[in-house]
Amino acid sequence: MRCPPGPLKSYYRTDTPTPDTPYTRAEFLAVDIETTGLDPRTDEIVSIGFVPVVAGRVRLAGAEHHLVRPTRPVSDEAAKVHGLLDDVLARAEPLSEALPPLLAALTGRIPIAHHSAVERAFLSRACRAVYGHPLATPWVCTLKLAKRRLTRTEAVIPEGALRLDACRRRYGMPHHHAHDALADALAAAELFLAQAAEASGRAPAQLRDLIT
Amino acid sequence: MTPEILEVRAFLGAHHPFDLLPEPALGDTARAIEVSYVRKGGVIANPDDPVAHLYIVRSGAVESRSRFGELLSRLGEGDCFGVRALLRGGVSTNRTVAIEDCLLYMLPVARFEALRRTHPAFAYFFAAFDGGPLGAAQGAALHGKTFDLLSRRVGDLLVRGPVSAPVAATIRETAEVMRDARVSAALIVDGDALVGIVTDRDLRNKVVAGALPPETPVAEVMTPSPRSIAAQDLAFNALLTMSRHDIHHLPVMDKGRLVGCLTASTLIDAHTSSPLYLAHAIHEAADAAALPALAARVPSIVGQMCEAGATAHAIGHVITALTDALTQVLLKFAEAELGPPPVPYVWMAAGSQGRQEQTALSDQDNCLILDDAYDEAAHGTYFERLATFVNDGLNACGYVYCPGEMMARTAEWRQPLRVWKRYFRRWIEEPEPKALMLSCIFFDLRPVGGAAALWDELRAEIHDASRKNHIFLAHMASNAMQHEPPIGFFRGLVLVYGGGENQTLDLKHNGVVPIVDLARIYALAAGIDAVNTEDRLLGAIDSRAVSRQGAMDLKDALEFIGITRLRHQARQMRDGLPADNLLLPKELSSFERGNLKSAFQVVKDMQASMASAYQLSRF
Repeated sequence: MRCPPGPLKSYYRTDTPTPDTPYTRAEFLAVDIETTGLDPRTDEIVSIGFVPVVAGRVRLAGAEHHLVRPTRPVSDEAAKVHGLLDDVLARAEPLSEALPPLLAALTGRIPIAHHSAVERAFLSRACRAVYGHPLATPWVCTLKLAKRRLTRTEAVIPEGALRLDACRRRYGMPHHHAHDALADALAAAELFLAQAAEASGRAPAQLRDLIT
Repeated sequence: MTPEILEVRAFLGAHHPFDLLPEPALGDTARAIEVSYVRKGGVIANPDDPVAHLYIVRSGAVESRSRFGELLSRLGEGDCFGVRALLRGGVSTNRTVAIEDCLLYMLPVARFEALRRTHPAFAYFFAAFDGGPLGAAQGAALHGKTFDLLSRRVGDLLVRGPVSAPVAATIRETAEVMRDARVSAALIVDGDALVGIVTDRDLRNKVVAGALPPETPVAEVMTPSPRSIAAQDLAFNALLTMSRHDIHHLPVMDKGRLVGCLTASTLIDAHTSSPLYLAHAIHEAADAAALPALAARVPSIVGQMCEAGATAHAIGHVITALTDALTQVLLKFAEAELGPPPVPYVWMAAGSQGRQEQTALSDQDNCLILDDAYDEAAHGTYFERLATFVNDGLNACGYVYCPGEMMARTAEWRQPLRVWKRYFRRWIEEPEPKALMLSCIFFDLRPVGGAAALWDELRAEIHDASRKNHIFLAHMASNAMQHEPPIGFFRGLVLVYGGGENQTLDLKHNGVVPIVDLARIYALAAGIDAVNTEDRLLGAIDSRAVSRQGAMDLKDALEFIGITRLRHQARQMRDGLPADNLLLPKELSSFERGNLKSAFQVVKDMQASMASAYQLSRF
């Protein structure tokens, strides 16, 4: 392994569970990030929220929320989306301090995100910037799970049906207002519990059924 | 440190009992939550499963059933479950199943225990929530509102022991005793026995104005055999007696022993409250036409007393005392119009007035017991007119005619003692349905005006006959099972046995009546004279009719259901609506819902144990 010692290396040195592991025996970490825009090559992370899922339950005691100081000023447009203003972010941690707690929490766990492609791309690029190596890991994408499930019953997936709140409502979950990375991570974690429960028969669903 | 998740904290903070927690504790609690998801039909716990969390329904619904499949509760958003298991060492007694897809918050038991230890209000909620003592929760609810003079006992209001002079003393010696003790009345005693009372007014009117020498024996000016009151009586009754007889001093007796003297000024100074003035105004009324305007003020007293934190027991006594006062002055006016009664009679209040449990919404139930010298041909018209006068007068005051005509104006319920004895014998010996219905009304009799001795004779006979008749009691017990409390609440509805859901809760028929019915049977079985339900329950403890715990739980349940009913009626009257007994669950806080559910459970349990005691499955 060419990865230098540090949080990313520790992360890599821990085994991930095998594909036939029941999801109730595996550990997950629901992750959400907020960014200055949609392009991982030019935009930056401004906040990271995460919360563990252990033994089929979301464990709020392990939740964390980090504000990240971007290297360039945040555009007004982006600020409107995440509501984080320059003066708040000016006092935030640099990316190099926000990543280690995330990687520590992720160790031995499988990350979950709603539309995980965004988190995957931004976090991998962040690891490359800080540690010189990408974050290569399997992800559980609750959006993909929802799409897979809807495709079984619907010819055309209606507009907006894959948004986090719409997905949650199909499982009778309370309305979710997206407003910060930690709240979104919790909302995705709860959605994951519902999806995993639905994918389970007599025995709990296995990781191979859930990793996308 | 773990950040709070605002949604979780906000949700907890919006639901009882977490709303009782201060901000930091609420934040710590939110951080300790684990979230789980259970699909519809999923089993959350089976009997004997270990339970290590308090559950809070975030969304969806769950149902609990006993191991025999009996529905125990249905819970929706914001409701807690698992408490009973946690309070009993962490083992589930019931089967709990998701009846909708559920998102559940789980609070680890260690955190739950820590909150109960450090936040008494939070602990009180759970004490009542699931099988704990209901009284403790009520204590918490009423905390800080305990001052209520009207419901205090006379004995508790005495500020000093009796000031007395021997019957052999002179007027001067008695006046010296009064001066030295700075009191306005002296109790005259012969040894330990109270034989008279002398007041400032007597010294003025009889001694000074009558130019009697100070060496005259006090016995010549005292009022002999004065009215007295028991130390256990309510202060309200003391005031009423004073008002009715226009006296200002009442010797107080405790189990036959003279313990002090209550004065009107002490009480009025302590608490000038409108029921007292109203009672006084009723006794002072010039004629029957003046009464409806006075009676119209009764409903507002219910509201005032509710707000002052009075108990349902005290409010029932006060409202009934006002009805009694109205009845008494109506009898007085009737006699003034018709002349003195040709034979002695006693006017009996039945039903809720008899039990001293009236609310602002009561019809009239009453009857007349006449002396056996009664002769239909000679005296029939007099008593018919007397009864009609009073029944009409009460009706005009808002105590509407009994729909079942159980009133003194009905010839059947205006009879000499010998006929009443025959009635009761027949009801007891042939307990068919109509007889049982009548028994529920006429076993709750209380004399209100006239010659109470007539009642004493009848009472002694019927209590003896009913106590010995097991078959009669068994029929009464069977009858008492007709009204059943609900299981509890689910969302905005009342959950009843069998799983049905009602829009409203009938606080009378499914709340108060089952307890009144149980207490009546305990009292009959124990041979207790009391008619007030609380008095019956407390009196029956010493017999073997009911356990102490059972009686105390029922007393607490009655109080909680009763005060909920009175508050409901007070709200309606404040909003200008007619008062009724039908409560919408949304009127209740979740604290009240929890306590009502516990109260219903007590009633259900006591009904079941009565059914088994009388082997009612054979009926």
